[in-house]
Amino acid sequence: MTVHSPPLRAPRWRSAGWVGALTSTDHKRIGLNLGLASFAFFLIGGVLALLMRAQLAEPNGQLVSDNTYSELFTMHGSTMIYLFVTPMAIALSMYLVPLQIGAISIAGPRAALTGFWTWLAGGLIMQSGWLSAGGAGRAGWFSYVPLSNGTNTPGVGQDLWVLGVILAASGTVVMAGCVLATIARRRAPGMALLRMPVFTWTGLVTVLMVVGSFPVLIVAMILLYIDRHGGNIYSGFSGAIDYQDLFWFFGHPVVYVMFFPYLGAAAEAIAVGANKRWFGYKAFVASVMAFAALSMSVWAHHMFTTGGVTNQYFAFTSTALVIPAGIEYFDVIGTVIGGAVVLRCSMLFGLTFFVQFLIGGLSGIFVASPVLDYSANNTYFIIAHFHYTLFAGSVFGFFAGVYHWFPKLTGALLRERLGKLQLAVMIVGTNLTFFPMFLVGEDGMPRRISRYAEHPGWATLNRLETAGSAIIAVGVAIFLVNLWVSLRRREPAGDDPWRGHTLEWATSSPPPPLNYEAPLPPIRSYAPLLDLRQHAEDREREKAPA
Amino acid sequence: MILTRLISTRHEYDTLFAVYVPIAAGVFVVIVIAIAAAVFRYRRRPPEKAARWSEHNGLEAGYALLLTATVAFLLYLTFTAEHRVDTVSARERPDLTVDVTGAKWEWQFTYPSYGIVVRSGTVGHQPLVVPINEAIRFRLASQDVIHSLWIPELRFKRALIPGATENVTLTFTRAGTFPGQCAEFCGLRHADMVFTVRALSPGAFADWARAHARGG
Repeated sequence: MTVHSPPLRAPRWRSAGWVGALTSTDHKRIGLNLGLASFAFFLIGGVLALLMRAQLAEPNGQLVSDNTYSELFTMHGSTMIYLFVTPMAIALSMYLVPLQIGAISIAGPRAALTGFWTWLAGGLIMQSGWLSAGGAGRAGWFSYVPLSNGTNTPGVGQDLWVLGVILAASGTVVMAGCVLATIARRRAPGMALLRMPVFTWTGLVTVLMVVGSFPVLIVAMILLYIDRHGGNIYSGFSGAIDYQDLFWFFGHPVVYVMFFPYLGAAAEAIAVGANKRWFGYKAFVASVMAFAALSMSVWAHHMFTTGGVTNQYFAFTSTALVIPAGIEYFDVIGTVIGGAVVLRCSMLFGLTFFVQFLIGGLSGIFVASPVLDYSANNTYFIIAHFHYTLFAGSVFGFFAGVYHWFPKLTGALLRERLGKLQLAVMIVGTNLTFFPMFLVGEDGMPRRISRYAEHPGWATLNRLETAGSAIIAVGVAIFLVNLWVSLRRREPAGDDPWRGHTLEWATSSPPPPLNYEAPLPPIRSYAPLLDLRQHAEDREREKAPA
Repeated sequence: MILTRLISTRHEYDTLFAVYVPIAAGVFVVIVIAIAAAVFRYRRRPPEKAARWSEHNGLEAGYALLLTATVAFLLYLTFTAEHRVDTVSARERPDLTVDVTGAKWEWQFTYPSYGIVVRSGTVGHQPLVVPINEAIRFRLASQDVIHSLWIPELRFKRALIPGATENVTLTFTRAGTFPGQCAEFCGLRHADMVFTVRALSPGAFADWARAHARGG
């Protein structure tokens, strides 16, 4: 071990039971708590989506009031983005990155724990708006001014929304900083940057983007809070544009924060499922770095229709994202070719992630063109586009990660057959929900309307979407059943059920408090366990003829 | 003498869309077939059979060049179309000017040269009446929050941001009755902020304008 190693002292649980689990500074415990809390928010956000779909099943739906509908879409978007997809991305990194780089703990464990609690407080405060007299936040998840100011959206619920975002984002930044510091300072001897696993690289660019962009959101929201209470910060045309610039300076990088770790999870699942080293590692690393850099300079493509930004520059950066994204697809295909493919749930979810995300990515090229966006902006075309990236993409990547790493987290296997059933149901539900949105959006249906006119075809398409959302709910329910069955009647997984490539598979399942009890294997590439296996195969082969 | 050419946002959109869709569909089909074929071909082999190569930087660089060329091609098409929609149309001398005011939750369309005011709201749901094949300058302003003028027939929308007036020049190319709607969430009754466009031949429009200018 190097001289920089911290003293070998296990993070102690200061108390037993629940209190101990919730106050542990073990990165695995924090990551798991964050993941579980995020997943709970996913279920809440999902219920809100189902209510919206029920309202829209008929042209003049009467299920909820206009005010309630505004709360539903505001809180659905806010819950999914601030409280599920983003923190889940951090949870995966928090749990896995130290294990993958051979670190015994996370840098700044108390800060990480504080970050988790700050984020959770933000989430609970945001949701507590439901209990206030005027209801929860209702100005949309990006809460443009002047709609979100004290005159146009008065009430405690919107204040709680602003405070919730401030705290959730603050906690997320702190946790991301801890992961970043861990990668910078805690890599095991031999773990050079260009030997870090693919997932760790995606985690690294994710936390870089969080650290670079979330502080801007925090400042924008603090200013919004002041504005709501008589501060007159965002006034006039320039104030409205300034808010949008500040918001989307966070709001676009966060789109990639909500993509990269799931890309990394799907990539690990596919490489292990193909029993082959991830193809094109260096090009992949270069492409995620380019992706992250570009993602910090595409934000105003959300503002093409404002007349307040330089459309061509942002069309250029946004369309250029095709290049790094294309490299990633090339690498998936290159990984599978020549492999020895085993179609387990993790592999299937990973492949589905790439296929479905492709629809989101390709439609993204459309809306990167101002002339096409003049039509698509704020219609269901956009809703379809980003749900194909976030739901059809990231959520499937998340499940690829769950099926891949669940044995590591728990020591038990998830049921494969239930998993495949879940996958099939979710593929049907997802495409039935989101594909018709392209059609109805192209036909002009705006987002965020609680009622729509009897326009030819709209009612049918909306009914299909509503049916699809119910099928998605069935898919998620199958997953919950799978969790319950697999934890109740455990099928022991062993340390390395899939012939993993990376260091987390070299320790026990679940890993001990200091992550590794045995010395680490030599680290000579981004797939050290595959190196060992191939080395052993070569030795066998050398011996055989003799 | 100003040489002007009517710019149809609908035409620009349709032309660009017709290039983007086949490219996207083609890329999707090729990639899905490649993934499916690779999975099918290499499934269920013993792990020791898996190949050990994991890099082909030359091939990857060539692929990146192909992607770059595609990006350049798409940007060329987009930039030229956007130049026509945003720059050329803005320089056109308008045949008609309409002041558009968005306010929660109603549209008001004013024709300064005729002294006509129509309102989309509860009083009669009056339509926005326009002549076809003429350059119409819309001067957009909002009285409260951000609204967005969205006319699907034109495949065009533009935000109305309080505190400034935005000008857009648009042309309708076919007669008919079309829906319009606010596309930026603007509060409680956002869903009701709808209007109707009646596009008439220039002669019929002149008749309408005369009748209403006199009657109003």
